Amino acid sequence: MTRRRTPCQALRTAVVALVFLGAATFPPLRVSGQESTATPLSQIERKNKAPVSRDVLSVKIPKAFETRLKNGLAVLIVEDHRFPAVHVELHLRAAGALFEPSKSPGLASATAQMLREGTQTRTSEQIAEEIEKLGATLSASAGFGSPETVLGASGLSSNFDSWFAAATDVLLHPSFPAEELAKLKQRLKVQLREQRSAAGFLSEERFRGAVFGGHPAAVVAPTLESVEALTREALARWHRERYAPADSILAVVGDVRAAELIPKLEKSLSAWQTAEVKEALPPNAAPASARKVYIVDRPNSVQTVVVLGDIAIDRRSADYIPLVVMNHLFGGSSSARLFLNLREEKGYTYGVYSSFNAGEYPGPWRVGGSMRTEVTDGALIEFFREIRRIRDEKVPEAELEQSKRSLVASFALALEQPSRTLAFALTRKIYGFPDDYWDTYPGKIMAVSADDVQRVARKYFNPETMQIVAVGDGRKIQPILEKYAAVEVYDSAGKPLRPPEKSPEKSIERAP
Amino acid sequence: MRTVQFILAALISLTPFQPALRAQAAAPEAAPKSGPPIEVRFQEYKLKNGLRVILSEDHAAPTYSLCITYNVGSRDEPPGRTGFAHLFEHMMFQGSANVGKGEHSILISNNGGSSNGTTNPDRTNYYETLPANQLELGLFLEADRMRSLTISQANFDNQRLTVQEERRQNYDNRAYGKTYEAIIDAAYDNFAYKHSAIGSMEDLNRAAVKDAAEFFKRYYAPNNAVLSLVGDFKSEAALALIKKYFEAIPAQPSSAAPDVTEPEQKGERRRTIEDAFAQTPRIDMVYKAPAGNTTDWYALDVLGDILAPSMSSRLYRKLVKEKEIAVSVSAGPWEQRGPSLFEISVMARSNENVPEIEKIVYEELERVKSEPVSDWELEKVRKQSEHHRVESLYSTRSRVTLLGSYAVYYNDPGLINTIQSKVARVTKDDLQRVARTYLKETNRTVVITLPKPKSAPVSTDGK
Repeated sequence: MTRRRTPCQALRTAVVALVFLGAATFPPLRVSGQESTATPLSQIERKNKAPVSRDVLSVKIPKAFETRLKNGLAVLIVEDHRFPAVHVELHLRAAGALFEPSKSPGLASATAQMLREGTQTRTSEQIAEEIEKLGATLSASAGFGSPETVLGASGLSSNFDSWFAAATDVLLHPSFPAEELAKLKQRLKVQLREQRSAAGFLSEERFRGAVFGGHPAAVVAPTLESVEALTREALARWHRERYAPADSILAVVGDVRAAELIPKLEKSLSAWQTAEVKEALPPNAAPASARKVYIVDRPNSVQTVVVLGDIAIDRRSADYIPLVVMNHLFGGSSSARLFLNLREEKGYTYGVYSSFNAGEYPGPWRVGGSMRTEVTDGALIEFFREIRRIRDEKVPEAELEQSKRSLVASFALALEQPSRTLAFALTRKIYGFPDDYWDTYPGKIMAVSADDVQRVARKYFNPETMQIVAVGDGRKIQPILEKYAAVEVYDSAGKPLRPPEKSPEKSIERAP
Repeated sequence: MRTVQFILAALISLTPFQPALRAQAAAPEAAPKSGPPIEVRFQEYKLKNGLRVILSEDHAAPTYSLCITYNVGSRDEPPGRTGFAHLFEHMMFQGSANVGKGEHSILISNNGGSSNGTTNPDRTNYYETLPANQLELGLFLEADRMRSLTISQANFDNQRLTVQEERRQNYDNRAYGKTYEAIIDAAYDNFAYKHSAIGSMEDLNRAAVKDAAEFFKRYYAPNNAVLSLVGDFKSEAALALIKKYFEAIPAQPSSAAPDVTEPEQKGERRRTIEDAFAQTPRIDMVYKAPAGNTTDWYALDVLGDILAPSMSSRLYRKLVKEKEIAVSVSAGPWEQRGPSLFEISVMARSNENVPEIEKIVYEELERVKSEPVSDWELEKVRKQSEHHRVESLYSTRSRVTLLGSYAVYYNDPGLINTIQSKVARVTKDDLQRVARTYLKETNRTVVITLPKPKSAPVSTDGK
């Protein structure tokens, strides 16, 4: 096939194409800074000889075609006739893992995965064969913490009707065969074991637990018990009650004509009449009241994966835009302060980034990366130094301007891929933003001031109460982490290795 | 410079942006049965200093991507110098005569762009995507570092640390991180592909800054590079800028291509490794295979997709669904300029399943040799290939790197347009032939990665 296999793709863990920047496991931002008091941009040597156009291309993000079917399903369409392919995704916004009963983690995901394992008229094998013969692909995901299950289908426009019909059958008429469910459970159980090999999973498990507490977004995986307990009746019920058109959005991008597609959708989806669910969100998680350290002892580790952070904002927050700017210059890219300090100056790491998750409910900001065990101490000192610096010192005007310019100018790149246009339209639709939201967005970014940046840094980056997770060689890193707060230690199976320290927060000796 | 050749027809034959090209959209061979062929139109030039230039206009969005592909990779490294090509790639971001340390990345970022560099066994490339009004910026930055890279001890030492962290993050601190190096070390005889591009910690420690200057002069010459440019520009103006910035960079004596030939393998090789992080066993069965872009390579590529990983593929059905002894499986040849490997990789459910998995895989390979595959399987692979190829052309970034790689690997950037027909031409007979020729025991290397037995969990610091 034309899929170019490299060893990197063929071997899931080996990386053969080595990239300068690597894959950001954290959402991005960028800076300079070595010493906290140094001029922020001192690490960048500016010769100012390159020919730069001063203009920022002002681009207008195209609007998606938008309508609602008779059954209540919202539809967004971005036509793109450059390439003979179509991508469809259905956002089922009452069927996400966020709404699972607490005893049933994994129910939403299992339901989504089982859709293609059998319908009233097709077996699992028939579905696979039929879809793949057309060159199409189906996908299903129900990420933990997410309010939605997302079903995807992609294929060529030349046989769109055929693969879309098969996808519709999978959506509307799944049969959840018991035999296939038994097989899925076996695979899920192996995955439960497999995921614990990754330091990133272990840090995510501990971090989400720390910042979300009793909120359902603290959950990151099913349990052996919850997998065992899955029944076809429970899956069928989740599908029957929660896959509701009026709660959902169908997003389409590619070589289709909206005027032709809408009647087809009305016809093929008219039988889909599940009543609207209108699920309420669980009560929000609140930022922590005290700093705390969680160590996951992962024997044989040569690096420590560090994540620091706490709950911040939801997507509708008025602080969203100033946080975008603050994050961008603090740690959101390879030009941000964190990267320039911990990688380009200190050589502690292949990459460090900061990010924040802002969706339907307040999610966490976070800072982190992987660094060799020996510099865990130094890296933590720099993390704290940078967090204090962005809180205590007003960001220099030049650094702020370049960050804002970077964010606004990059809008032009979004025009290359209509899937980005669709993503913009989805965000607007999901959060109920006004029609001109993306038209006015660049102006709002440019209006962010140094005071705004400092204000949101102080409001959300609280070094005294943030949560600290470190995954690595427990014996070596525990003495370092103990300087920061009371420590809880876990093994890589997720079990506490000893009871939490009893010492009251106030008596803890604080490091930096 | 002169126009070397004009290759192929219309960029995206239906695009409203390039109506003039439609008339030229002759689909020469074996186009997909349905849907219009998509052709990436481009022009080629060669500067006086030997720099090969490929221009492909696409005015669909106000952006462009630029890629410089250097004809050097880890296969050029001698023993004792593993990882050097990639370490050097990092040096290319550390400044040049007219660009300060760190300024390259910040100039790209400040102007809304993105950039990166990558190294593999066969080539090293650098690319950026920027708004169309910053065309001159991208060309200036790439030309300045090709002409006048700053190589200092301090920068070299710092990037050595960064690369060592990259190695730890992607290999040493990760499940199955040792598997890839075990496979190539066991399967290859020639050092070129026997060692990894990331290199060993020892060799990285040994790397010397004085070698960097020599490496730069030898491999980072305009006559050892391809410049590809895709996006929203006028070719004539772009070419003038390219000449302005690049043409005065002196050519260097060209380096001989490394000897990558592999002796015939005479018997199966086996290795078992223990992995401290892995929780489930993994079995890799690899076979020596021909270089990329050869008839047999495409046949092996198609065969790989018939075997795995999709839900209707043979090994998925057998191992994952029917027998329930594996959780995932992949199959296919690596694309390399030189001798490649056809790899079947299986994540097993437990250690006890390993022998049975191996046996079933070999049975399935024998079945391919003795019975023609079915029509629907071949049709499936062709359609999937067609779909995948379309998606690979969406972005200017993807097109610009493909053009550069195909030019450097195969001296054929037009492969971006003809590759689909090469896949479509593969017949059932081809599949049986390549299975018999390459997928045989004496040509095989098996690497089994087993979870390292755990000692009983002990609480940290003895409590």
